[in-house]
Amino acid sequence: MTESVEPILRVQGLRKTYGEGHTQVVAVDGADMTVDEGEFVALLGPSGSGKTTLISMIGGLLAPTSGTVGLGATEVTAMSRKELTRFRATQVGFVFQSANLVPFLTARENLLYVASLVGTPKKDAHARVDQLLEELGLADRAGNLPEQLSGGERQRVAIGRALMNDPDLVLVDEPTAALDTAMGRSVVELLQREIKSRGKTGIMVTHDLRMVEYTDRVFEILDGVLTHVERPSALEH
Amino acid sequence: MNLGLAEIRRARLRFGLLTTAVALLVFLVLLLSTLGGALVGSLTGALDRLDAAGLVYAGNARDNIAASRLDPSVADAVAAVPGVAAVGAVGTFTTRAPLDGTATDVQLFGFTPGAPGAPTGLSEGRLPTAAGEVAVDGRGVAIGDTIDLENGEGALTVVGLLRGSQFNALPTLYVPLDAYTSAVTAANPGLPFVPINAVAFDVDPGADAAAVAAAVTEAVPATQAYTRADAVARIPGISSISQSFGILVGLTFVIGIVVIGFFFLILTVQKLRAFTLLRAIGASTGSLAATVALQISVVVVAASAVALGLTALALQGLSTGIPVALSPSTVITTVVAVWLFSLLAGMLSVRRIARIDPATAVGSR
Repeated sequence: MTESVEPILRVQGLRKTYGEGHTQVVAVDGADMTVDEGEFVALLGPSGSGKTTLISMIGGLLAPTSGTVGLGATEVTAMSRKELTRFRATQVGFVFQSANLVPFLTARENLLYVASLVGTPKKDAHARVDQLLEELGLADRAGNLPEQLSGGERQRVAIGRALMNDPDLVLVDEPTAALDTAMGRSVVELLQREIKSRGKTGIMVTHDLRMVEYTDRVFEILDGVLTHVERPSALEH
Repeated sequence: MNLGLAEIRRARLRFGLLTTAVALLVFLVLLLSTLGGALVGSLTGALDRLDAAGLVYAGNARDNIAASRLDPSVADAVAAVPGVAAVGAVGTFTTRAPLDGTATDVQLFGFTPGAPGAPTGLSEGRLPTAAGEVAVDGRGVAIGDTIDLENGEGALTVVGLLRGSQFNALPTLYVPLDAYTSAVTAANPGLPFVPINAVAFDVDPGADAAAVAAAVTEAVPATQAYTRADAVARIPGISSISQSFGILVGLTFVIGIVVIGFFFLILTVQKLRAFTLLRAIGASTGSLAATVALQISVVVVAASAVALGLTALALQGLSTGIPVALSPSTVITTVVAVWLFSLLAGMLSVRRIARIDPATAVGSR
């Protein structure tokens, strides 16, 4: 008899609208989605399709109009603003477009700051930063400011920052947007390896079909409607 | 990992310039406060530091001790008023004497040793007790020096040095009343009698000085009595001078605080992208506000240290003719006020931080 494992991420009937009446815009229309622990899934969609809105609601950055998001034992959509801030620091790792590092902190400090948000003891934080930077091939760039790093190096620092607090979920927003193809592939490959090796769950928002091969499953969103697809529609043509 | 200190370390030029600007503003506030305080002090010190609960002037003196003329016998009439514990005659006039090698105007005060009206603020030596002795508040004078008053008004040996006891912003000499009377007589031969300018009085234990002053005015004809504080506040022109300096210091302070507030608002706006990112990854508004507060504190403390040095140098280099000293209370009050109001001005930045929508970090490039 197989034991059924509940998915770590549960999105049910998630809806987000802006405006009212005839000017109302539906950004996400009743999205349902489950992702298992250790899965790395892609969220595909053209600009304005609602993928950013969806990932923002899952990450506790944006309150939905209706519907629920659950991560492990946490009911994200039931949390207060203060709880959401804590949730983002402890349970979610974010990798944004163009890396988005703090410009006046070195690579090492960008990671250490995240650890300070959750009160990680200094010694443990330093050890983890050293380990992550080593794994990400950035040990010799630890003391460099973001402006002294290449686009790929900055994205790798962002990956390290996302993993720093050992989150349950890693949300990745267009990680290859500012990178050339080769660098983009290398970053997503590294991302997949790091997420998989740690048994983390990851969602990557992308419009780059070439990155789909690094993920386990693909979701597509079009005009706010989310569907789980075997093969991205763009590849059908 | 301290965000605020890390930024200061990485942006030394920016924070250095900001600290310099704040230092100049604090310096201006300190210098104006000190000069204003010194000027008012040198105009009022003699009365402010008089050892008495109150002063009695002639009724037609218009609150001006120099214009007040009283018969010495008025002291006995004041002493008879209920509530008055003791009295002492006080005389004063302006004359000239060589001080620090130059003939200069000086204010001579006569007081009755052991009675109300003696000066306080002795920094060295003792008060004069006999004719020929003098205590001085003025530059370039040392214990043992001899001061020759002009017109043969007498040679005085310095036995005490005073601080904060000047009058009319002039070097001020305190002598026993007999010596004062002799000096006035020498300067004005033929005077039928030497008037006194005021009667200083003390009140009985537990008595209200203002009530006793009112009783004296009522009981002694052609006099006007005030408490010491009232007498000081009524010195002609003092309130205008105090108000003018108050406005100067206040305006400088307000402008300084507004500038500091805007500086930090600009710094915050420049960092909005980073702050949005930090809010998105779990930094609270409070922790980011604390970053701004820490930076304001570091800038104000560093700027105050620089301003203190600048003020000390300026006061050494300035020749104002009045005793000017930087008082610890002025420094502490100024620095604490600048710090507190800067933090308040920093609320502009905190308000901006509180309005950050962390969701905008997603999808932005």
